[in-house]
Amino acid sequence: MFANPMRQQPVMVLQNNTKREQGKKAQLSNIKAARAVADVVRTTLGPSSMLKMLLDPMGGIVMTNDGNAILREIDVAHPAAKSMIELARAQDEEVGDGTTSVIVLAGQILQAAEIFIEKRVHPTVVVNAYFKAMEEILKITEELGVDIDVDSEEDIKKIVTSCIGTKFSHKWGDLIVDLAIKATRTVVRQSGKDVEIDLKRYAKVEKIPGGTIEECTVLDGVMFNKDITHGEMRRKIENPRIVLLDCPLEYKKGESMTNIEMSNEEDFKKALESEEEEVRKMCEHILRVKPDVVITEKGISDFCQHFLMKGNNITMIRRIRKTDNNRLARVCGATIAHRPEELQEEDVGTMSGLFEVKKIGDDYFTFITESKNPEACSILLRGASKDVLNEIERNLQDAMQVARSVIINPKLVPGGGALEMELANRLIKHSKEVEGLQQWPFKALATALEVIPRTLAQNCGGNVVRLMTELRAKHSKEDGIWYGIDGNKGTIANMKEIDIWDPVAVKLQTYKTAIESSCMLLRIDDVVSGMKKTKKQAAPQPEEDQPGPDEGHTFGDERDG
Amino acid sequence: MSGVSIIGEREQGQDVRTSNITAVIGLANIVKTSLGPQGLDKMLVDSIGDVTITNDGATILSQLEVEHPAAKVLVELANLQDKEVGDGTTSVVILAAELLKRANNLVKNKIHPTTVMAGYRLALKEMIKYIKSNLTVKVEDLGRDALISAARTSMSSKIVGSESAFFSEMVVTAMERVKTINNMGKTKYPVKNVNILKVHGKSSKESMLINGYALEMGRAAQGMPTSIENAKIACIAFNLNKFRLHMGIQVLVKDPAELEAIRQKEMDFTKDRVNMIIESGANVVLCSGGIDDFALKYFVEAGVIALRRVSISDMRRIATATGATVVTNLSDYETSDEKFEASNLGSCSLVQEKRIGDYDHIFFEGLAETNCQTIVIRGANEYFLDEVDRSLHDSLCVVKRILESNAIVTGGGAVETSLSVYLDDFARTLESRELLAISEVAESLLIIPKTLAINAALDATDLVAKLKVFHHASQTAEDQSKKELKHYGLDLINGKCRNNMIAGVLEPAISKVKSLKFAIEAAIAILRVDDMIKIAPKLTEEDKMRLAQQQAAAQGQDFF
Repeated sequence: MFANPMRQQPVMVLQNNTKREQGKKAQLSNIKAARAVADVVRTTLGPSSMLKMLLDPMGGIVMTNDGNAILREIDVAHPAAKSMIELARAQDEEVGDGTTSVIVLAGQILQAAEIFIEKRVHPTVVVNAYFKAMEEILKITEELGVDIDVDSEEDIKKIVTSCIGTKFSHKWGDLIVDLAIKATRTVVRQSGKDVEIDLKRYAKVEKIPGGTIEECTVLDGVMFNKDITHGEMRRKIENPRIVLLDCPLEYKKGESMTNIEMSNEEDFKKALESEEEEVRKMCEHILRVKPDVVITEKGISDFCQHFLMKGNNITMIRRIRKTDNNRLARVCGATIAHRPEELQEEDVGTMSGLFEVKKIGDDYFTFITESKNPEACSILLRGASKDVLNEIERNLQDAMQVARSVIINPKLVPGGGALEMELANRLIKHSKEVEGLQQWPFKALATALEVIPRTLAQNCGGNVVRLMTELRAKHSKEDGIWYGIDGNKGTIANMKEIDIWDPVAVKLQTYKTAIESSCMLLRIDDVVSGMKKTKKQAAPQPEEDQPGPDEGHTFGDERDG
Repeated sequence: MSGVSIIGEREQGQDVRTSNITAVIGLANIVKTSLGPQGLDKMLVDSIGDVTITNDGATILSQLEVEHPAAKVLVELANLQDKEVGDGTTSVVILAAELLKRANNLVKNKIHPTTVMAGYRLALKEMIKYIKSNLTVKVEDLGRDALISAARTSMSSKIVGSESAFFSEMVVTAMERVKTINNMGKTKYPVKNVNILKVHGKSSKESMLINGYALEMGRAAQGMPTSIENAKIACIAFNLNKFRLHMGIQVLVKDPAELEAIRQKEMDFTKDRVNMIIESGANVVLCSGGIDDFALKYFVEAGVIALRRVSISDMRRIATATGATVVTNLSDYETSDEKFEASNLGSCSLVQEKRIGDYDHIFFEGLAETNCQTIVIRGANEYFLDEVDRSLHDSLCVVKRILESNAIVTGGGAVETSLSVYLDDFARTLESRELLAISEVAESLLIIPKTLAINAALDATDLVAKLKVFHHASQTAEDQSKKELKHYGLDLINGKCRNNMIAGVLEPAISKVKSLKFAIEAAIAILRVDDMIKIAPKLTEEDKMRLAQQQAAAQGQDFF
């Protein structure tokens, strides 16, 4: 690759199959890739957005307008594009909503840098200007945040509604909103001053195809897709006493290798009897606490079922998931026990009011509901097809995350692109105070923010140029900060009046992620690809186990200098 | 043609020297653009498609698949610098390549390589002497600000450059807190005691420094408390599953009822162990193996936080930091019973589980013995986090070096220019042929300020010439006030020369000394080579078989 002037034969430093892209070319190709990713999701922004249908290699389909869900399914080769896709994931995990905006914004920010790269402005100048602008943006956003009352149902509803507004399920209006708020409120757990809202573990969405959307509910308890183990058992119990186990109720062999030597027929019988006896003992221990329902994560033998049914007419459910069991423990106030002989009265759950097994569609489902203080819940979704349900679930997840962000950080900013427009306006004003060459990228970033209202306008088929000019004019006036795009009508509206809000937490995260990642991509001037993955630079080193004599109290990391 | 030959290739004399040096220069050119505050990053993609984005010379070179043997020497060099100093990996590679380039020209002009090498060695000796006597400044004279400035200098070329004020403060605080005095009475600042965790989400500014240690895992069971004050920590290096006999041991029983007893005993064994641990007063239990579900229940009932599958290195760190002993078994030497001594417990003021991003983390704060620190890095995506991790590691090393060696020099090309001017003068005092080599070293050193200027898109020739004037003045002038000119280096943002001591562009002296040493030694090692023999790989049995098969197949095709 590096031609030797002395001899004709070139000296090969790198392996033949490595490819390099350098300088401006690398930068421009990164920007192009990022824009391509942004273009994929661009049409899914806002209330008039369209869904994407994605086919996975297995032939399954995903229908969604969730930025993260779309990008997750797409297999990209370009490294910069991969980096973009990671953004959506980071956004999703941190705040749950705004995944599309972050991608669209990052794409636009990179595009804004393109002209500077073309004009040979040093990328570090652009990067520094961007970081400076980000600080300004974060400051203004915090400043514009409007406090709301977390306990007021109205306020929370407003914000969740505007989040759902951009999603597929917004045509069912309040329904999904109510579901999300109720579910989120259920799992709130106050411990001291910390508020714990663990949606991932304690709010489970159960999808059952069939029925109508209107039948979706948040249960005051949990449900799972399991039937009772035997048809004779009771299917409906009021105020049940529930025992939760995570051990099998059947004979199990020991861990150690054991052999029995049998010398006569009697021994064999005895062996079988003792196995039976063992199970019988287990059952007696369970019967001691007089439960109505026994639920275990493992199996239940026929013999055991017979015994328990005869004993106290106990209803049994086997092989439920660990996560379901955890939720159940919270709902009915039981402790998950492992050894039946150690069952105590406190371990029995009595908090829930109703145990019921229902047949929905073709499957049996167990409901444990009417709990006094359920700190966990199941959300039952009904709908025409599985794909629709999947999309509603994604929407619901987003909505719950939004509700969670608002409860934790109760501050709102106007949505519908109003905030971006205001930021752009203020930054452009501010840019005149920025010294030197940085002024231009600073200004460019400000203009790039306008991509959000512009895309909204585009997606709802409005007259983009006219709307944008009008909006810009509104924002240049004193009290213009509330004006944004009404994505349903394609007009300019006061966001305060039509109640379109976004949580500050989501917006802040969007700007941070988009700008930081763009800066990282801009700083690259060399792409080397095609290396084999043989050498990992962090090869394990043997010295880790034996710290040197003068190291004293140090441990672990071989990278120490 | 002689009858004796080797299977393979052979290159000799000037040919091999030129090819080696061309390869080395090629490699240096790859990393060249990442030097300095205006340097840019590289994106490295491997065949699987995994991406690394970095500015760190050592990382770039070790990720590249370098084939040429001489170039490999340079990769090793960068790794060595990374291990020994932690920072300055790019500059050492660039310097070594430049030294070689100039050496090659000398050799072409019929100066024997050994003379060049002798000159290089002499130059190295003089440079080190000069740095130590004239260019270093004690940190005590400058205080904590110097540390922060040095940390910031090392970050300035990285992605965190624009947030360097924030991160340098964090790095210096962390390093100051991990100060330990070892058993030989020396004060040490182990970088290992600063644990770096990466969680994506939020922005880099929301990274935080935690006075304690953190693990990326959740509690073993949801029923456990989320925080415990005045924690007593037990570290257990065996699993708390059901007891089982070792493989191959069989128990033979006559009476089936006894089988039941064995089964019962298996559970009771673990139960007893768990109870023993709880009774000793432990309220946080770290287990390197698994914990059976039934055993968890006892912990839940006792209100103990139990963690399972803690990696052994993490456990060892926590044990040392909290004063706990890692217990590998419970057997007692005197009696045959098992017991768990309360003295095995470590302590810390607070253990709690917190959720960062989407993941649970366990924090150990207020550790009893040593001061472990944890830096939690936040950022847009994983590539970003990895790069911040590498940058912080470099800065931590820099701060460590300064704290331990207590000497700093000015950066931004100041030291290199100063040395260059000095060597130039020194060379004139010699009468031997080494003179030529030494003045080439003097010229080579200027590659650092030149590259810095080029990367910042500035006029390198002009700036370096100006710098040289300042340094010449400082070394020759009698006037005391001119002495300060030795700290003049480049200001790459404004494209001027300035006093970098005042501007706070500082580097540890030891790092400069070492990188000069490494660069010259590597250059000498490559220069000494005058013959390269590449043996053609021997055909293995397998290869022969394959060849034979191919031939057979070819014949078969002919046949049909």
